[in-house]
Amino acid sequence: MRRRSFRAMGTEVELLLAAAEGEAATAALDAAEREVRRLERLCSRFDPGSALTELNRTGSLVSAELAALVRTALAAREQTGGLFDPTVHDAVRAAGYDRSFEAVPPDGPGRRAAIPCGGEVTVDRDRVVLAPGVRLDLGGIAKGYAVDRACALLAPAGPCLVNAGGDLAVHGASWPVGLEGGPTLALAEGAVATSGRDRRRWRRSGEERHHLIDPRTGRPADTVLLRVTVVASTAVEAEVLAKAAFLGAPIDCPRVLVTADGRTVLAGGLS
Amino acid sequence: MTSNPARLYAAALAVLLFFVLWAALAARPWAAAASADPRVAALGRREAALRVEAAAVQARLDRQWAAYRAELRRRSAVPATAVQPQVSITALPPVTTTRSS
Repeated sequence: MRRRSFRAMGTEVELLLAAAEGEAATAALDAAEREVRRLERLCSRFDPGSALTELNRTGSLVSAELAALVRTALAAREQTGGLFDPTVHDAVRAAGYDRSFEAVPPDGPGRRAAIPCGGEVTVDRDRVVLAPGVRLDLGGIAKGYAVDRACALLAPAGPCLVNAGGDLAVHGASWPVGLEGGPTLALAEGAVATSGRDRRRWRRSGEERHHLIDPRTGRPADTVLLRVTVVASTAVEAEVLAKAAFLGAPIDCPRVLVTADGRTVLAGGLS
Repeated sequence: MTSNPARLYAAALAVLLFFVLWAALAARPWAAAASADPRVAALGRREAALRVEAAAVQARLDRQWAAYRAELRRRSAVPATAVQPQVSITALPPVTTTRSS
């Protein structure tokens, strides 16, 4: 078993590859790590040199891959009735998540602002155009995309698992995957993602806030759920569905819900 | 020069001189002299060389762009994990643990 860990996209990324030592396995791990780092440079809203930052600054950008990712995010917005929304950038910032999470002060003053979401975004071939005042945060989908890409690059070298701080995909074997504070899943193919307000959270003016914005209110979601874990075909799909389920959408797939008072509910065929 | 014929000749000569001078100026003889300036010729050669260089750079960029698009198409063609997830609860010890992202 080959295991590699590195820090990227604001979290710890773990690559597992069930392959013997050798150049092919090392090359696959190298390629997967490079891919994650490349996508971080493309999609980070904290990197002043990223394509996403450039798009948010200018309102228009030509980038084939970013356009494809934004198109996926917009399709997810459509499919979830707006519960998943890439235009929550300003709302997340207003809530206090305006820098890399490690640098966000855990407490401090802050006003209670509701920022409108659902802004107009146009994708025309490789060009993305934002309506005035609209900015994108791809944090809800980019990590899943990176996990899927890394898993696809590892797969030819053997059974593999990619875990980027809770967004996880596996291929080629049954992998026992533990859910924090919950059961262990045997996942043979597919992906898992968890959306929750138990980690990326902070306080402003005595009020607890977190990074999961409800686009209907433009504020951190107010829910009895602490976190939702969803199993789906891809990490992108799992991320989108986990966010939608966290906001109360009735989804139909294997999932584990944990409430704020500590109850764990298995649903969607899990038992 | 008080006789009328003399004044007429003088006037005709003046008109003739005027048109000759006009024709001479309209021919812009100094322009030909300027084009012969070696510095201008050097600038012309430099411009031509830069045009050739720009065409070469453009061709290289076109090749790189085509290679990038081909690589992007190849990457997009690779399915990530486009199969139905297979999942169950197990008692095995986990190889990794997930948490809220």
